[in-house]
Amino acid sequence: MIKMDITTLGGSLFGTIPLGDIVLYVTPFHLFMFATVIVFTCLIAISRTETQIEAKFKSLGNNAVSVGLAEFKIRRFLSIVCGLATAGAMITGDFFNFILFVALIGIVNIGIVSAVKQVDVLDAAFQYGLGAMISSLPLFSAGAMMLAATGTLSLFELANIATITPMMIFSAVLFLIGVAGETGIAPFFATKAEMFRTPGSPFLLIIHLSSLFITIRAIEIILIILT
Amino acid sequence: MKIGEILNKLACPRRIPKIFSVVLGLFLLIGLITPIALNNDQVYPRPAPQEQMLAGDSIAPYDRGGEILKSPGITKAQYPNNSKSLGMVNSYMSPIADGVRNASPYFGTSIYSSPGGLIDEILYYTRGFDTILESTILMMSFIIASWIGINFTMRRKDDVDEVKLEEND
Amino acid sequence: MAIELVPQFVPDIFLSWYAPAVYTGFIVAFIGLMGIAIAKKDIHILILTDIVGLSMLVVVGATGTDLAEALILPGLVVELAEIMAISEILVSREMRKNNGSSSLLPLPIVSDMEIMTTAPNFLSLVLIGYGVFLTGFTGGAVAGAGILLYIFSKKSRGLPVLVIDGIGAVSGLAWCLWIVGFLLFFIAPEYWLLSLFMAACGLLLKVASKLGLIGTLMREEYKRE
Repeated sequence: MIKMDITTLGGSLFGTIPLGDIVLYVTPFHLFMFATVIVFTCLIAISRTETQIEAKFKSLGNNAVSVGLAEFKIRRFLSIVCGLATAGAMITGDFFNFILFVALIGIVNIGIVSAVKQVDVLDAAFQYGLGAMISSLPLFSAGAMMLAATGTLSLFELANIATITPMMIFSAVLFLIGVAGETGIAPFFATKAEMFRTPGSPFLLIIHLSSLFITIRAIEIILIILT
Repeated sequence: MKIGEILNKLACPRRIPKIFSVVLGLFLLIGLITPIALNNDQVYPRPAPQEQMLAGDSIAPYDRGGEILKSPGITKAQYPNNSKSLGMVNSYMSPIADGVRNASPYFGTSIYSSPGGLIDEILYYTRGFDTILESTILMMSFIIASWIGINFTMRRKDDVDEVKLEEND
Repeated sequence: MAIELVPQFVPDIFLSWYAPAVYTGFIVAFIGLMGIAIAKKDIHILILTDIVGLSMLVVVGATGTDLAEALILPGLVVELAEIMAISEILVSREMRKNNGSSSLLPLPIVSDMEIMTTAPNFLSLVLIGYGVFLTGFTGGAVAGAGILLYIFSKKSRGLPVLVIDGIGAVSGLAWCLWIVGFLLFFIAPEYWLLSLFMAACGLLLKVASKLGLIGTLMREEYKRE
């Protein structure tokens, strides 16, 4: 079997940003994802929200559902934080650091929709929040069990480990379940899909974009560790 | 059951936390039959429980060697080269903490919480970026909770009369 | 004394305790998760997720190194942060459902105990003093508990929104202090003592003021008659 390290998927290593034990690293793959998220975050920072027009029942009038100024400000702030967290998660070189980025994205996603007036959307946000809270068990346990099995949390060291033990496979799958719950992908998509039914479009899109990027990066990390 | 029915069940937000917890719970049962063992070559190892207490050390469970402001304590970091003054935070103790250490042998845990000590070195220095994220998470959740609280839950704007009444008495 | 301060490898006692500790965590988590799966009310699910979070701390702590002790703190903080934000969303949702007629506390609570008027000054001073000595996250929590106790038992309902925002601003500035301290650690390693104190005091102020903020928020609802 081919032994993968961090450059197999990412391409040649451009450089590292050492912050103590946590080493951020940059390859073409990660640089591209990082730049995409940063560009999108900048677009969000300068854009204004959409206004939804609903047709009124039993009359010919329209009903405009718009976002107030205070609500607009807090949403923009949380969206920018979400974008920066996603960008940071793209280039981090530490397993536990990535998990914390995912947790940060989860809480910020809840915050973006928490200010809405629709009860259905609030309910979806609450259910998503419950999922995110439960997901902290698989995420952090996976980090701790990976540490216990290998004695390190750095992706550079994890990539070099020759023998894959069943415990490492177990914690990698646990990590995947945690990411699935926290970002709301495939079988657990319903809460996140419902959260979109509210005005304020460009800010809501970062919820979606962050989970796409985090999923890609999580799969890359699992491949780095397990092969 | 048809696939369509299953998909319909999955589309209800109220069921998602329950489905997720069932999946996760069943997977944890697999963990009970997986061979689990601790690798004994870890970063930042610590002595066995009670070892330092029984030896009568005055900063008992958290003594990692070194002299205050002079020599670094023992820190087995992942990348020692990235942290230039590694171990200095570890051996540091504030003057008050040093006084407490000389006065009584029972305050090891309090002394390690004060500035200096191995945990501070991990939290602020070698893995400081984790702590930045962690405090950011705390800050974001406070922003969310207090924003909802001030703007909606507390209903301050409807409460003007009540607030004024309480200020007067 | 001829004992080794820090062993080269993990002591045997941690190796033999690891599997039982992790299994305990899994079993506790399994019970909590099955509870979530069969619970009917949202508030029950919210409380049960806390059990799941606690079992996560057991699994993390089982590793038994100093690093594991440092990793417990993020886990604990994430749990605390999420439960606070989500419970606020639950309250807000219930209030919107009932057109704002339901309150945070279903029944108005009046507690006229003598201890609430005489003890807080002294107890808060002790807690805040001890918190300042400890610094960092633990110190912030202890000092914050002092502030919380004081606000909770004193009459302070009707604080202007500006004051609440101000407490938040202090916390944000303290957070910036800690970020600068962290960067100094790597830009100028020889000034590690300055960085250490910036980090420790920044975190102390941040956590203490945040906990004080919870006190003010709760105080608004408490004693509402």
